[in-house]
Amino acid sequence: MLAAVAALPDDVARVSHELPLRANLSALDNIALIPLYQRHFSATESNRQAQQLLDQLGHADIAALRDPDMTPAQRFITKLARALILKRPRLVIDRPAAMLYDVPYPAFIRELAARADMAGTWEIYDFDWNQVLYNQGLHPE
Amino acid sequence: MNFLAASIESLGAKVVGWFTVGYGMFAFLAQAGVLMLERATWNRATFDVVVKQVYFTAVQILHVFLGYALVISWLIITIILSTARDFGLTEFASEMTIRVLVLELLPFLTALFIALRSGSAINTEVALMQVNSELDALAHCKVPPMQFEFLPRLIGGVISVVTLAGLAGLLALLMGYLAIYGMDTAGFDPFTQTVAKIFDFRIVAGLITKCALFGLAVTLIPVTAGLETPKKLFMVPVSVLRGMMRVFFAIVAIEVVSLALKYI
Repeated sequence: MLAAVAALPDDVARVSHELPLRANLSALDNIALIPLYQRHFSATESNRQAQQLLDQLGHADIAALRDPDMTPAQRFITKLARALILKRPRLVIDRPAAMLYDVPYPAFIRELAARADMAGTWEIYDFDWNQVLYNQGLHPE
Repeated sequence: MNFLAASIESLGAKVVGWFTVGYGMFAFLAQAGVLMLERATWNRATFDVVVKQVYFTAVQILHVFLGYALVISWLIITIILSTARDFGLTEFASEMTIRVLVLELLPFLTALFIALRSGSAINTEVALMQVNSELDALAHCKVPPMQFEFLPRLIGGVISVVTLAGLAGLLALLMGYLAIYGMDTAGFDPFTQTVAKIFDFRIVAGLITKCALFGLAVTLIPVTAGLETPKKLFMVPVSVLRGMMRVFFAIVAIEVVSLALKYI
């Protein structure tokens, strides 16, 4: 784990390949766990909130998929939705290249960030040598 | 001399290892017990997971289990009856059948059945969760793994073993009656008197306690063995092997202590 990420405080929601999904639960269940156990909502209400988040991120169709059946991008979206539903003020994406190795990820994350309705900040921790990817995303020419 | 010192050292390390494992298990059990007494634990989510666990552990296998109990009971009853007839002890056949089957053999076999089917699955799943850092992810999300993953398994195991052993016992009683008296209702009075004589409060309480301990052993030990797994995938089979050996010894120990308390 990156030292900087390891030192993050408790009020940070992390999306990381080191924080996997529960393999035997669907994407919806993985997200719904948070309102169910943290805020003691009913299962129906928790599922509704989870589905709403997936709809918002534009991937409602992955709700029934379990981790082994997901593509890397679908897995990332589920982890992101799980982090968003935590409703913490900071969201840290830890080394996205380790999770999104099949898509041009700076653009992909930017698109998801535009869809997500989150009040706090998004931070990406990545290796220096990937900096060029972010620059390409900002200056496509 | 060196050999002796090495042997003592190895034995000491083993004893310390057993105590560490034992302490870990009892500490985990105490934590689960405390959590069970907390009102906040008993929300709809935990209750739903407990129901799901009971379904997977007991209901899903009910037909297979009852078929297996039926065959075993029929076989043992036939052996007991023919032996009793050979020795002219037919009047003791029903009591012997109940004592051997309902009080001892069926609860023991039920525990073994659940251990092999669900205990090994629980051990593997918890070990994989540990290796894949799924528990770290739950901790990050502040979803309590004890409440969400472990406690429902412990409760489900206890309920399942007690219920399945009870059902198998009832089936054995019915089989015993049919084998001894056939469809004749004349044997109903002596048979129920024998049942009432055997099943006094002490025996029933002992039987339920034994089944509950079996249920705890087949779930608690696999969970703790899974949690001990180092974060290396190749250690998962080793964890399951260790866990299942401990479950076997625990089941035998519970049975031996129960027999000793009853008959010595």
